[in-house]
Amino acid sequence: MKHGLSKKSQTFLENLRLYLFSNGKDEKEINAIVEELEDHLMEAEARGKTVDHIVGESPKQYMMQLSNEMTTDTKTWVKFIILILFGALSYSILTNAVNGQLSYSLLEILGSIMISLIFIIAIRSLFKSVAANSLSKAKEFTLFYVVGLLPIALFVGLFYFNRLIETPIFHFGSIGTILAVVLTLGFLIGMSLWTKTWVMLIILALLVFPDFLFRYIDISPETQLILSTILTFGGISLYLYVNHKMSKQQTN
Amino acid sequence: MSSTQMLKGIIDGCILAIIHEKEVYGYELAEKLEQYGFDSFSEGTIYPLLIRMQKEELVSSTLKKSTAGPKRKYYTLTQKGEDELQQFIARWEKLQSNVNLCLRKQ
Repeated sequence: MKHGLSKKSQTFLENLRLYLFSNGKDEKEINAIVEELEDHLMEAEARGKTVDHIVGESPKQYMMQLSNEMTTDTKTWVKFIILILFGALSYSILTNAVNGQLSYSLLEILGSIMISLIFIIAIRSLFKSVAANSLSKAKEFTLFYVVGLLPIALFVGLFYFNRLIETPIFHFGSIGTILAVVLTLGFLIGMSLWTKTWVMLIILALLVFPDFLFRYIDISPETQLILSTILTFGGISLYLYVNHKMSKQQTN
Repeated sequence: MSSTQMLKGIIDGCILAIIHEKEVYGYELAEKLEQYGFDSFSEGTIYPLLIRMQKEELVSSTLKKSTAGPKRKYYTLTQKGEDELQQFIARWEKLQSNVNLCLRKQ
């Protein structure tokens, strides 16, 4: 259906979808308006009009106009927030349990929640600004990468603060640790079946796998840290990007 | 004042009038408006308005198969929309005669 459209119109529709999604709009409404505009653009282009004629001088302003009239569906975003929060928790439990018994300080628990929330807000504003302003591919990629690295930087910060400041520590013990791991794995599999997406398992595998790999390869710890960071967050960015492209193709 | 600013509110009434005439889809509606001389604004402007009118239950939409392939959204007036159109016509007539009086017999 879409191949009849000019590149510029296609880009506009893609950006509109991303913008509305970042604003937490109802998915059904997003699909409805994107389809309607696609139909309109096809007919307009067949008669020699361009996307500017339909959207006006400022696509950003037009996107805002549409967004203002549409229903915000916070449920989708709450689902994402829960998914990311529990994803971070699962990661922490799995990696720590590999190294022994689980124990967390109060600062670690609160800090991790904060970092997850900051990451969610950063991703959301990133999507919005990429959609509304037409940036070059290089700039876009850099932004995605920087935001991808943000949580790592914050977690490193938390790691050091945790050594400096003493807060109460919760110990799990050996039975508690096993229980936590079983619960986490159960939760992950259940979540993947329920959401019909393996995103959490894939991302967690990307996070845990490099560390396992480097246990068997003899390189310096510094190189290890850098390589595993690049592998993990490069892998996640790539996965999200491919996934985003694929879901767009499906809806069209 | 630009004519775009003057058009705000008035264009809503015109959209209602066009849909009242005949069931239309988005492109048709934009084209009709252009034919009537509203060519200063971009065609896409109708969609935020249509979304709002649907929320206010002035218009309703149905999806129908089009010859081109994808389903097309056709708009019709609801009873509330019909009433709103009648009120708009009354308001417009009053406004128009007031403006004309102002301009001609100062």
